[in-house]
Amino acid sequence: MGIVITVTSGKGGVGKSTTLANLAVGMADEGKKVVAVDFDIGLRNLDMLLGLENRIVYNVIDVMEGKCNLTQALINDKHSKNLYFLPASQTSDKNILNKEKVNVLLESLKKEFDIILLDSPAGIEGGFEHAIAFADRALIISTPDVSSVRDADRVIGIIDAKSEKAKAGEEVLKHVIINRVKPELVERGDMLNTEDVLNILALPLIGVVPDCEKVISSTNLGEPIIRDKNAQSGEAYRRISKRILGEEVDYLDLSVKKGFFKRMFG
Amino acid sequence: MSLFTNLFGKKSSSADVARDRLKLVLAHERASNALPYMEEMKAELMEVIKKYTKVKDVQITSQNNQNIDVLEMEIILK
Repeated sequence: MGIVITVTSGKGGVGKSTTLANLAVGMADEGKKVVAVDFDIGLRNLDMLLGLENRIVYNVIDVMEGKCNLTQALINDKHSKNLYFLPASQTSDKNILNKEKVNVLLESLKKEFDIILLDSPAGIEGGFEHAIAFADRALIISTPDVSSVRDADRVIGIIDAKSEKAKAGEEVLKHVIINRVKPELVERGDMLNTEDVLNILALPLIGVVPDCEKVISSTNLGEPIIRDKNAQSGEAYRRISKRILGEEVDYLDLSVKKGFFKRMFG
Repeated sequence: MSLFTNLFGKKSSSADVARDRLKLVLAHERASNALPYMEEMKAELMEVIKKYTKVKDVQITSQNNQNIDVLEMEIILK
């Protein structure tokens, strides 16, 4: 039986889908059978981050409505046979998701996959609630700025209140990923540091991803940065993938002195 | 950083300010958002108290002292 991991943030634009795409590739590379599900109904985006936008025929709503079966809608990744993708629909009807149907879909995905990654929409409305309702674990993405941390805190509270696991008296395992950290700014005292963010959110850390210009070009190309062996953020994602799967991995050295990667390739 | 601040009276960094502002605003928000059952509980408590005395309002505030979460209830009589 697979586990459902919801990637969420509250605030939009903090790198939720980018993170999800990279971790999906990372865990598939670790040998897990992974499906990345875009739950941002109406605002499909994960397809482009994974470079799979031209292969979409059916979407997640079609599966839930019974217009096609699951295997017809699942798209295999170009590079990894372990990785599959289930696209969001482009319908603007926000109320199209239905909790019971979401449950049925996730249960059938659990039979086929080890890891089901759900890309939650920004905000705390219906779509977000569906994305966290059946989560076994949650990864909360925050950038080190006040709005993002504040919204992340809000979202954590809602996960605790609204998920089925929490309702049953169990706890959704929650971890924080701090994204787009700029070590120079942190060192200068102009950006919240990792301890600050963790202290405020009172959750364990599972990864810190440095701000990285290469992410922009990798997004342009539809090639998750994790496949770039020379990118520091790619390395961060590789390590997070391993940590999610239970491996203990050292944290990246993000101190300002020129690191190995910069000396070699910078 | 803090040693510097103490020695030279340098004003605190923007990250320090951000942290303090966040802590304040979240302490407030958590108190008001964390208990989705609050309104319902308040209404039921009012009903119970009304059985015994005249009540005007019930105010419940949640507080966090170190590791203990406390709900404080204030019953305002008519």
